[in-house]
Amino acid sequence: MRKITRRGFLQASSVLAGVTSVGAATAEPRPPAWRGDTRVEQIATNCEMCFWRCGVMAEVADGRVVKLQGNPHHPLTKGQLCARGNAGTQLLYDPDRLKYPLIRTGRRGEGKFRRASWNEALDLFAARLTDLKKKYGSESVAFFPHGVAAGFFGTLMKAFGTPNSAEPAFAQCRGPRDVGYQLTFGRAVNSPEPVDLEEAKAIVLIGSHIGENVFTSQVTNFITGLQRGAKLIVVDPRFSTAASKADHWFPIKPGTDLALLLAWTNVLIAENLYDKEYIDQYATGMKELEAHVTGFTPEWAEPITEISAAQIRETAHLLADAKPAVAIHPGRHVTWYGDDTQRARAMAILTALLGAYGRKGGMFLPTKVKQGRIPLPPFPDSDRGRADGAGTKYPLATEESQGLTQGLVQATINASPYPIKGWVVYGQNILESIPQRQNTLKAIEQLEFMAVVDVLPVEQTSYADLVLPEATYLERYDPPAFVTTAKRPYVAIRQPAIDPLYESKPGWWIAKQMATRLGLDDYFPWKDPDEHLSKLLAPLGVNETELKTLGAVSFEGRPYIADRHEDDGPIFPTQSGKIELVSSVLKDLNFDPLPKFTAVKEPPAGYLRLIYGRAPMHSFSRSQNNSWLDDLMPENQIWINAGVAAKIGIRDGQVVTLENQDGARSLPIAVRATEGIRSDCAYMVHGFGTRAKSLTKAYKKGTSDTDLITRVSIDPIMGATGMRVNFVRVLPADRS
Amino acid sequence: MPRYAMVIDQERCVGCQSCTVACKSEWDVPNGFGRTRVRQTGTVGQFPKLSTSFYVSQCNHCDRPTCVPACPTGATYPDQNGVVRVNRALCIGCGSCVAACPYGARYINASLGKVDKCDFCASRLEKGLEPACVTTCPARAKIFGDLENPSSDVFRFAYRDGARRMETANVAIGPNVYYAGKPEHAELALASFAPAPPRTIAPARIWSSLLNKVVYLAVGATFLGQAVAFFHQLSKGEKQFEE
Repeated sequence: MRKITRRGFLQASSVLAGVTSVGAATAEPRPPAWRGDTRVEQIATNCEMCFWRCGVMAEVADGRVVKLQGNPHHPLTKGQLCARGNAGTQLLYDPDRLKYPLIRTGRRGEGKFRRASWNEALDLFAARLTDLKKKYGSESVAFFPHGVAAGFFGTLMKAFGTPNSAEPAFAQCRGPRDVGYQLTFGRAVNSPEPVDLEEAKAIVLIGSHIGENVFTSQVTNFITGLQRGAKLIVVDPRFSTAASKADHWFPIKPGTDLALLLAWTNVLIAENLYDKEYIDQYATGMKELEAHVTGFTPEWAEPITEISAAQIRETAHLLADAKPAVAIHPGRHVTWYGDDTQRARAMAILTALLGAYGRKGGMFLPTKVKQGRIPLPPFPDSDRGRADGAGTKYPLATEESQGLTQGLVQATINASPYPIKGWVVYGQNILESIPQRQNTLKAIEQLEFMAVVDVLPVEQTSYADLVLPEATYLERYDPPAFVTTAKRPYVAIRQPAIDPLYESKPGWWIAKQMATRLGLDDYFPWKDPDEHLSKLLAPLGVNETELKTLGAVSFEGRPYIADRHEDDGPIFPTQSGKIELVSSVLKDLNFDPLPKFTAVKEPPAGYLRLIYGRAPMHSFSRSQNNSWLDDLMPENQIWINAGVAAKIGIRDGQVVTLENQDGARSLPIAVRATEGIRSDCAYMVHGFGTRAKSLTKAYKKGTSDTDLITRVSIDPIMGATGMRVNFVRVLPADRS
Repeated sequence: MPRYAMVIDQERCVGCQSCTVACKSEWDVPNGFGRTRVRQTGTVGQFPKLSTSFYVSQCNHCDRPTCVPACPTGATYPDQNGVVRVNRALCIGCGSCVAACPYGARYINASLGKVDKCDFCASRLEKGLEPACVTTCPARAKIFGDLENPSSDVFRFAYRDGARRMETANVAIGPNVYYAGKPEHAELALASFAPAPPRTIAPARIWSSLLNKVVYLAVGATFLGQAVAFFHQLSKGEKQFEE
């Protein structure tokens, strides 16, 4: 750990020392970080309040993190931190944290545990996994990871011999988009998304709500683009913050985005407005595309989308005028209706027609960073294959994808294709992140063993046999981030600002301890994080001291087609080496090789379609127990169109209960009656309404949308769970 | 002498509250309060022709501050850079200035028994840093600088680009926080969060705060005196032992 002292602090501290000891009599208020009479050290690391990994400088005095600041040396985030990032200390010092290893003594879900030593806990963990392997085979253990440190556990699980691992980041979030872009351009979108918002002349957001969805540098680039004059088109049934800044806000009928995309495509082709030179040079399938979209005129789309044909045409012209500097954001949480890969394909095709992929102001290309390899013995083969349907039932949920969480839940319930009897959950709140909570609970009943590794006692910990307290991101080393989708690619590290509190332990340590107990030491051929880091950095020629001081080091990037070198590899690494407007892969698999619009089921009379999103103060269901963030936003609201509210006799601010089409009821939630939403849907921020009593601040505050997502529509191509297929009606508050 | 001012660009602001939390962290602001706050204005208009905006509020460091004359002890004062500051040694926590501020920019920090508010992060400025809220803002919506410097961004916004102050016919005390962006944004903010005419508090409350303070001081001084005597004795004793 390399530390640098705050500029001039030593001189200041001697002066301040006298003043500080007088305490309350200090004439001028001083920030806490500068009050003390000890050295304040700055430790460069990166944030994990969400997964953008902004650069952080942790200010440490007397072994305590007194403040988090943005790290000005970070090439992407340049000293900025969002509300959550600034509130990281309140996770570190959350009194509700898991403090010791716990072994369950009560019934599942009852929350009764006894404290155990790490030795006892890890011995038990290893013994139970070994038992399961003997009884049912190693594939009977399923792994639910999330986050960067999960990599260590991923290695452990693969070495143990189970292929069954699934993150919600794929089938409940970004999967369809990554598959759709991979099919078209030969490359998934990745995170951070390489969308050139700052250089764009036109920006298109399809349901993406940047501003409420805050990733610092993405907000900076978005706002910079707008300030430089980019035209903004926002397609969202709700008047989002982004919509309030838009030149064109299309409050589209939910579920019809694909029709709008096809109509834009139609205009670009019919009026010969697309980038013909680019398409001729780089794309295949233009003729078929042209024939395919002939009928999809703005007039065709108008009654479907409820956006006028004139507006569709006008904005198609706007996009054509701005080309190739058109940033069509691929979105992030895109698992909506079960046809999401096809919608992503339509967005990718539109991006291609505008000549925007690999061009300034559109989407830029990743630049490789030479990452060291740590040679490992081969992982054991599984002849039984994955249990979640990835790669088989859902062919494009490939081995490299992050798996299908709901597939593992179903396999566990049905013991099919084979029994799954053990779950290891790492840093993932499975009862909130996986839809159809009733299924997840049913699956847990089938388990002989469940282990949870987490920082906070989230709801599923009460069902676990074994709970292991992990150190927070401010107390642990994680694998370095090699980020290729930035204009200047970079490597950034996470290193501990302080030693782990209580008896919590870093993920790498837990995984390595388990490897020893399971006889898998060969898969962890490094003695400590420093050695692990050195091995990964070896080919880069980075000065490790500099990296540990600054937190990140960046390299030359080649973001646009014109910059590319030979050794950057093909521009479009598809099968054909070209942009596939018609997807050869989809054709081979008997899926539509060109995207088609199919109507989604309408809400029954008296019901509203439930949609959901994010607030800038919270990350999924991870942050609601954070004292400062709870202070800013303790609960969510249900947005209902003001006219609808008036019609059903509900006031703004009134507390109501929501009931979905299957009779599932929500916790009480306050109504936001607003003109800012269509009259056929209702919106809430995701992540509230936890039923974990152990989260003392967040317990039953607001409402969980997951409680109301009892149905999903599964994308046949890659298995994502479309979750915007549930409908709610508004009832007087149910206080029971 | 610089004349410090802040510009808040409402066209940039996305209401993400990064500033609120950076400030809270920098200054240990208790929950329920803020030295700076972000609130959304109402959503006006009729679907789908709508408008909304965010209003970032904080101390305006006014040219003719109503809080300064309201303070019975002289704790609240403008410094040479036009920053309105609080001398905590003199503050008795009576709340006169809280009532006198039209912008709701002050609060009583219960654990200190003192008033607290934005001072443009005076201690950061001394070290050549920008206020914490400015540095952290992902939208770069907060711009800090010197109004006396014609090449500064705040000068440009305030004097050339028509950024406006949150003033009304009733409350016009020369605030030095300017709001840039579309005129409709500032109008919305003004309509939703208009400054309130200064209020005064009952003199009895001031007296009781003052009295409390005097009692604490007396008790404190006695205790401190005894402690000093005790440690003096102790150190003398140690010295004797060493000898």
